[in-house]
Amino acid sequence: MSEVAQEQVTVTLTIDGKEVTVPKGTVIIEAAKQAGIEIPFYCYHPHLSIPGNCRMCQVEVEGAPKLMIGCHTQVAEGMIVKTHNTSTQVENAQASTLEMLLINHPLDCTVCDQAGHCKLQDYHYEYNARSSRFLEKKEKKVKAEVLGPTVILDGERCIACTRCVRFCDEITETGELGLLNRGDRYVIAVNEGHELNNPLSGTVVDLCPVGALTHRKWRFNTRMWYTQATETICPGCSTGCNAKVHVRDDQVVQVKARLNSEVNKEWMCDEGRYGFDRFLPKERCLYPTKAGLELEWDAAFKELSNLKNGKSLILAAPDLLLEEFYLLKLLCDRYLPDASRALAYRERSLTPVEAILISPDYAANFQGAIFSGYIDGGESLEQQLEGHVKAIKQKKFDNILFVGDRSLTDKDQADTALLAAINEMPRRFGILSDRESPLASLSQLVFPARSILEKSGLLINRAGRLQFSAQSIDFPIGSEPEWRILNRFATALGSKFTEAENDRELTRWYLKQDPRVQGLSIAAIKNQLGIDLEQYQPQEAVA
Amino acid sequence: MTAQTKILLKNVGHADQHTLSGYESRGGYKIIRKSLQMDPLKIIEEVKASQLRGRGGAGFPTGMKWGFVPRDTGKPVYLINNADESEPGTFKDRVLLELDPHLVIEGMLCSAWALQSNWSCIYVRGEYAFPYIRIQNAIDEAYARGYLGKNIFGSGFDHDMVVHRGAGAYICGEETALLESLEGKKGQPRLKPPFPAVAGLYGCPTVINNVETLANVPWIIENGGEAFASIGVKNSTGTKLVSASGHLKKPGVYEVDMGYSLLDFIEEICGGVPDGRKLLGVIPGGSSVNVLTADECKGVNLDYDSLKEAGSSLGCAGFMVMDDSTDVVEAILNLSNFYAHESCGQCTPCREGAHWIQKIFHRIARGEGQPGDLELIDNLCDQIGGHTICAFGDTMVLPYKSFIKKFRSQFKERILNSIKGVKQERGSFNFESSGHV
Repeated sequence: MSEVAQEQVTVTLTIDGKEVTVPKGTVIIEAAKQAGIEIPFYCYHPHLSIPGNCRMCQVEVEGAPKLMIGCHTQVAEGMIVKTHNTSTQVENAQASTLEMLLINHPLDCTVCDQAGHCKLQDYHYEYNARSSRFLEKKEKKVKAEVLGPTVILDGERCIACTRCVRFCDEITETGELGLLNRGDRYVIAVNEGHELNNPLSGTVVDLCPVGALTHRKWRFNTRMWYTQATETICPGCSTGCNAKVHVRDDQVVQVKARLNSEVNKEWMCDEGRYGFDRFLPKERCLYPTKAGLELEWDAAFKELSNLKNGKSLILAAPDLLLEEFYLLKLLCDRYLPDASRALAYRERSLTPVEAILISPDYAANFQGAIFSGYIDGGESLEQQLEGHVKAIKQKKFDNILFVGDRSLTDKDQADTALLAAINEMPRRFGILSDRESPLASLSQLVFPARSILEKSGLLINRAGRLQFSAQSIDFPIGSEPEWRILNRFATALGSKFTEAENDRELTRWYLKQDPRVQGLSIAAIKNQLGIDLEQYQPQEAVA
Repeated sequence: MTAQTKILLKNVGHADQHTLSGYESRGGYKIIRKSLQMDPLKIIEEVKASQLRGRGGAGFPTGMKWGFVPRDTGKPVYLINNADESEPGTFKDRVLLELDPHLVIEGMLCSAWALQSNWSCIYVRGEYAFPYIRIQNAIDEAYARGYLGKNIFGSGFDHDMVVHRGAGAYICGEETALLESLEGKKGQPRLKPPFPAVAGLYGCPTVINNVETLANVPWIIENGGEAFASIGVKNSTGTKLVSASGHLKKPGVYEVDMGYSLLDFIEEICGGVPDGRKLLGVIPGGSSVNVLTADECKGVNLDYDSLKEAGSSLGCAGFMVMDDSTDVVEAILNLSNFYAHESCGQCTPCREGAHWIQKIFHRIARGEGQPGDLELIDNLCDQIGGHTICAFGDTMVLPYKSFIKKFRSQFKERILNSIKGVKQERGSFNFESSGHV
């Protein structure tokens, strides 16, 4: 690109005395973010239209007759912006906006689910923190209004930022919500004859900056500060939505979407959100079992080495970690070269609203299976699986190993002919976490594994983005991650692949092993909200 | 009293002026025929030369507004006639719509030709039932005669005109809220930029003018921009329709040359303050301007510059007169009830502030005022003005601030009485019973 063209696409401005260069067309809020300056806002969202109604992001722009809103004002060359850090006028305007927002607010933080992660609270302490001068009666509005199967409204807490309305209008285009009435009698309501019932409906709760919209499922459950929050990846499908999971006493009590413009914006589907823990096992496997009876680990591995005898099929779940697929590949390459490898991958059909976010699969890490070299991505994965299913039915295999609870798709589990054919195989092994699952009853020998929520590691989403999925739920003593079972099996067969003692060490080991991800660290992957592997240039690891 | 030019109200005295035949018998629809022979850009030049300023309140130069419309964008240009006359104290547009609707149509046609717009709309406020019937009948007549529709007056120019009735919201007089309303959405102002001239109705270039503004256009084309500019005073050319109301012997709509003396207007045209009472103050521009006390009215003329100098504004000339029998607390409470009811509720300061101030005024009025209330109101006005999306917040605070500043003693007395426990006698004009509060 020529120098002239370069000049046209970027703009340099000064915010609070700090110089910052941003692309042309950037709004002041985003430019300030790049300069490390936080401008407060309620109604603005980078992926929704800009209504400019909360008036929280006002800034002083030199030469402008009055304060400008940072969410709508685009940067210009040489612009000089003053935020609350350097301008008393801005400081007063923000304090005043907060005072106005709170006059009709019920101030019921003590019973509000949003307390602790509420932008009204946060900003009040940061930008106002003075007592109200309002002596009049507050407006009364609807309380506990059910908007649909997932969301409930407290009208008095609403600050009319219209994020929820815009989400339903612009993103899902289902248009269920509206802002009724004028002035301070405004209220969010479901349009007549509708209910807020779309596949992404729970997202409006994330978007609500205050406690007006809450999840019916998790209302009045716990205070946020008693929960353990983990920033992780939703394992529901291969979109890889960035989520923040709040857990208390091993129970998921709130799931929020995290902002990642490259993946899920800040949206999340109801299936993934409300069913976040649906992959957790009901009845745990906590030790190796053979025909339901406990078995020593060494004896179990000795039994498992029968995979070398006869024709074997390795059937892996699509939600294993990238590192696990990598280990599985190494294992197969070195010790089981004749075994066939399969991945439980089936496509599903989606409605247009679902397709906004959801990928047409249930396979969080099928890209990882391909990237690791465990299976070949050349042929369609579903066709590959179909071929293996056919081969099972034709009794071409003697042994089968299920790696992971979801290594047989729902569709295949309903295929009685397939199940019967598997049952007739002489040797059937499973690395599973749920002993009540259909797979456990199919397997003669079961190793106690963990669910995806109970381990940390790497996932690659459908678009080829490498993301770090952190462990969000505590695992029970006795269970072992699939990778360690595979590594111990390798030890039993000859020598182990990795010295890693825990998930983190494994990830670090993998990032050093695979030349295509050289130079990456867990921190880098997390900080950059994932790495686009197609764009990534491997670097020599810094010593 | 010097003779006043009659541009707009020239023919309203004739009983059949609202009919097509009556209008044509007095020279109607001649100027559009002439206009269609003219270069559209020439008409814009004439309007620029006339220095006509928007009569809806802001006083923006009309020719300049038209000049902002980009040509050859491939998108249609829309012309909107803003007849959502809702400013308290203003009722001039209804006179034109009711009594001379064809003048409005002709003015719109001339403007549409200048702007090369094939579609225009008259946005009539919902409460204006009779004006709506009159203007709709006039449009029907014009269509029947072929003055609207395809190939009007044999010029090859097509123009369609529709009437849209608002649903009763003051804010829909704000031009971008009007556009939202026309598009079928909730009437709430848009963020600017972009301005309507560039991206207005359905994202197309749109010109929005007041009824009175457009009704001036035929005269300008007939007599030339220079002739129009020679009427009135510098920066305020032509005539102005003034809606005179309040404590006057002869309230009504009057057409005066710009620059007419304010006190002469009260005394000579409106017959002065009735029953020998004295003038207390005037809100000269429709409610959303600063009030002028009787003293401040001396030497002030009805034009943009003079009223600005006096600390108020001509606005849309909703001229409201108060004599010394007025209870200023009840008067401002009345206005604050209006603004609280009409705030669209989009942006925080206006949405919450309008009601807060209303509640304080109401408290003062019913004898529960507290020390510090006036300072609080003044401070809240500063928090609202200049911090909102549209001009509603900016102008709403003008009467509030000026009332409590200029009539401070009356407010203070009321608050003092409430502290002393003196029971407050309230007039028949009681809003508590009106359901507003």
